[in-house]
Formats: sequence, C-alpha cells, structure tokens
Amino acid sequence: MDRAIVVDRLVKNFEVTEKEKGLRGSIKSIFNPKKKIVHALRGISFTIQPGELVGFIGPNGAGKTTTLKTLSGLLYPSSGFVQVLEYDPWEKKPEFLKQISLIMGQKNQLWWDLPAIETFELNKEIYEIPRRDYEKNLEELIALLDVGKLLKTQVRRLSLGQRMRMELVAALLHGPKVLFLDEPTIGLDLIGQQKIRDFIYEYNHKNNATIILTSHNMDDLTNLARRVIVIGAGRILFDGALEELTNRFAKEKIIKISLSKEVDIKGVEEIGTVKHVLFPEVTISVPRSTVAVAAAEILQNFPVNDLTIEEVPVEEIIKKVFRGELTRHE
Amino acid sequence: MKKYFQIFKISFQQEFSYRLNFITWRVRNILQIILTYFLWSSVFKNPDTSVFGYNQEKILTYVFGILILRAIVFSARAVDVAGEISNGNITNFLLKPVSYFKYWATRDIASKVLNLSFSIFEITILFLILKPHLFLQVNPLILFTVLTSLIAAVILFFCLLFITNMSAFWMPENGWAAQFLFIGIITDFLSGGVFPLDILPYTFQKILYSTPFPYLLFFPLQVYLGKIAGLEIIRGLVTAFTWVLILFMTVKFIWAKGLRRYSAEGR
Repeated sequence: MDRAIVVDRLVKNFEVTEKEKGLRGSIKSIFNPKKKIVHALRGISFTIQPGELVGFIGPNGAGKTTTLKTLSGLLYPSSGFVQVLEYDPWEKKPEFLKQISLIMGQKNQLWWDLPAIETFELNKEIYEIPRRDYEKNLEELIALLDVGKLLKTQVRRLSLGQRMRMELVAALLHGPKVLFLDEPTIGLDLIGQQKIRDFIYEYNHKNNATIILTSHNMDDLTNLARRVIVIGAGRILFDGALEELTNRFAKEKIIKISLSKEVDIKGVEEIGTVKHVLFPEVTISVPRSTVAVAAAEILQNFPVNDLTIEEVPVEEIIKKVFRGELTRHE
Repeated sequence: MKKYFQIFKISFQQEFSYRLNFITWRVRNILQIILTYFLWSSVFKNPDTSVFGYNQEKILTYVFGILILRAIVFSARAVDVAGEISNGNITNFLLKPVSYFKYWATRDIASKVLNLSFSIFEITILFLILKPHLFLQVNPLILFTVLTSLIAAVILFFCLLFITNMSAFWMPENGWAAQFLFIGIITDFLSGGVFPLDILPYTFQKILYSTPFPYLLFFPLQVYLGKIAGLEIIRGLVTAFTWVLILFMTVKFIWAKGLRRYSAEGR
C-alpha cells in the first residue's frame, strides 16, 4: 500500500435550517422552516503516504473538520471518492475502525462519572485488544503522557489538560495506524501543549503512523508538520512543504536595515511599509517585484551599516491563512 | 460478546455513581405503589364489588402487576439516544467497532436487572406489610406464555423508544418533547399503564389490539391473570411478534437514513 489516504473531488453539502431571532422567529420556523444548503467542501483532492504527518490549516468554517469527519466515516460524502487504508470509511467495517482514531480537542469519550481506567478497560474489549498488547500500550502511553497517578480518579475531577491526555490514551490504546487530530492542544496551557506535541511526534515516528492534524496553534504546525494543506471555503488553496507556503503566498519581502547614524526616516516610508523601528534597526516590507529597486534606493539615500533581505516568516503567512486572507489566485 | 459484557459491567457502575439520585428514585417508586394501592382499595371497598370484570383482588393484582411490568418493560437507558444524537456524543460510537443497538440493548438490560431486583425487594416488603389479596398464577404453561410475551414486550418497547429518539436526526431540538409525548403519555396510556384497557369501548379495543401498544403491558398481564386463553393468546403472540419484526425493520431503515443526515455537529 503506497497511499494511506486518497481523496478525490470530495464534495459535502449540508442542509441547515435557519432560525430567525426571537420567539416569533422560532415559532415561524416550526411551520415554515427556511432551508439553506451549505457547501462545506467543494471538490477537494489529495493523497497522503503512510507515515506522513500533514497539517490541515484554514480559517474557521473552511471545511477542515468536515474533511476529517468524512475520512473517519462519520459523514456521508455528497459526491467524490474517499479511501483510507484501502477501505471506504462510510462502510464502518470493524477492521477499518480498529486501525483509525479521530481525536477532537473538545470532545469526550471518557465516562464522566467513572475513573478513566474504566473507559480504557471498555475500549480494550470493544477493540478486542489482546491482554498483552493492551498492557504494553497502556504502560507506554501512561509513561509518555505522564498520567499514571490519575488512572483511578473520577474523570470529572481531572483538569482539562489531564483529561485531554487521558482522552489520548483512550483513543490510542488500540494502536491506530491512521490518526485524525482536530485541535488537540485547544485550551491547554503552554506546558500541556508541549507535552501533547512531543507525544504526537513520538507516536508518528515510533509507529510510522499516518497523521492529519488541524490546529490554530502555530507551534503545533511549525514543530510537527512538514507538509501542509491549506483549505479555504471548501477548496484546497495550497498543498506542499511548509517552507514553500512563503514562496507561494508572500507578496512581500522584508528588508532589515541597520543605520550608522540617527537620521530622519520619513523618506523610508515612501519606499515600503515600515514595520518596526528600534534605532538603529529599521524593518520595512516591500512588494516582492520591487525589492531590488527598494534596496538600491535605501543604500543610496540613507547611511546604512548593514542591509538584509528576508522572507516573510511562515508564521505571518499562517496567520493570514487563519484570517482567511489567502485566496486561490494569489 | 465479551465487549457487551464489559458494557454491562460499566453501566452498572454508572447507575450507582449517583447514589442519592438512586435512593430518591427508589423512594418515589415505593410511594407510588402505596398511593395506587390505597386508591384502588378504597374504590373497591366492598370485596364483592366488580367493575368491568375486576373485583378487588384482580384490580390489585393488576396494579401490582403493572408496577412490576413497568419495571421490566419501561425501564430503559435508551432514552438518552436523542440527546446523544443532538449533542454529537453518538460520534464516539460510530468511530468504534461496536453495534450501537447492541450497546443500548446491553445498557437497557443492565438497567432492567437493577430495577427489577430492587422492585422485587421493595414489593416483597410492601406485600408483607399490606398483605393484599393477590391472584397467583400457578399454571406453568401460562407462566411460560407470560414470559414469551414479555420478551416481545421488551423488544417492542426498545424499538419504539429507538424510533422516537432517532427523530433527533431530523429535529435535534425536539427529541425530548417527542419522547415525553409519545413514550411518556401516549404509550403508557395505550399499553394499559394508566387503567385496564378492557374498560374501553369494544371497537376501540379491537383497533388497539392491532397496534403494538397493548402488547407492552396489558397483554402479558391479561395472560397472567387468566383473562384470555387459547386461540386469543396465540393470536396475540402472533400480532406481537409481527410487530417486533416490523418495528425492527423500521429501526434499521430509519437508522440508515438518519446516519446520512447526521452531521456530527458541535464536535
């Protein structure tokens, strides 16, 4: 098997009922519901190799979660082709379900009123994990995520971060080959985030697991994903290496100048957008096409000690992605 | 099979995790029994009074019988299905190699076992205190028929409950209302939970007998009380099991349709 995931011209539409505001609107919508079609995915295609870790990024409502849900068999595609580990996810074959896991940062599978170990034991039976594998996996996961002391604590008494780590244990006991992670670090503090990130890295490498990750956390992406797929308004805008994002989408370059003496920098504003001034350092951004001209002009008109031309940091681009500022034709 | 045994175990633990809740619920059950007992024994003050073929002994057996049957047939956890659909919790199950129906059937059985064991305990105590005159059926063939009709009743109720709950696929916010109206009021009424159905007009009874409802409570109890026999029992059982088949297919059909509608919202 050379492709773990194949998606071809996948389309997903939802029918939603719109409600007008207030009581009157609610009553009206009972008798005359206003239906609207939402085009969540407008024909996306991509393939992922076994062992790849791919970051899925895009603004809210772009279709990231819809894609993950379709890939894990929760949603029925309106049209198009989806294949995961050579299975059709929608059929929900036990052999398929035993090899995947969908983890959502804001979701609970743990039994709220019982200690987490009870859910683990239940999953052992549901996934028919042999006792030896179960014990080995559990021990490993507990150690990696550092939750050994909390196994017998009622789930509702755990903190968000502790609970998230328990959720990961529950979702990975059966050793899935394909992992869909939807905002795994949402709501966690920095240390908690780092723990989850290290863990994902480890899991990916140790098990050669295929992972798709969506996140609004910059560090999740820059630390984990080498390949990113940018999705916006139900379409794929970019699919490639993280570093290439900049080449593709940055319309500007950054010029960093170090001045040799204090001068009026008003003239600089005419050359490019001033981003940052902390004498003697001045940072400006200029359109890619005019960067050479701009640099020459600066060298000519200002007392420059040093000048460097840099790419816009990838974080800036990702931020733009989240704000939905990237479109296909940029 | 082992996975469902584990589900059975964890359901039991879950039921016990809210102890105070559990106790108050049991107290409510006992009060309900005492209340209905005194109501009906005052209506039939004279042991010789007979209304619609019920004397004091038979009406009391009916009332007690209904209480036990309710504990067996109507105690179900699958009432939570609508909630799981609308809040998206059902996602957890769709992702796992486990049958959602069998999962809830198992949880229902756990709930029934718990409910029944407490009911028997409570009713024994109340029986010893109140010493009511009850009708005891001893014919093994009839008792076997009662058991058979009970199995049909349990499956029928499970299917009805599931169908009602699955409406949440289309109307996520109306699951609770549908449940309350359909299961809580209509089903209880039409199955003889409120009063014996044979006090209703004859034509109405006839129509009712071709629906699944009387087979939930009324029919098994009538068999126990020896009020129907022979061909009528057979006709009843055939109708009940035909409904089991029809409703089971309906559940499967609606489930397949509902899953396509499901959008795993809010998760």
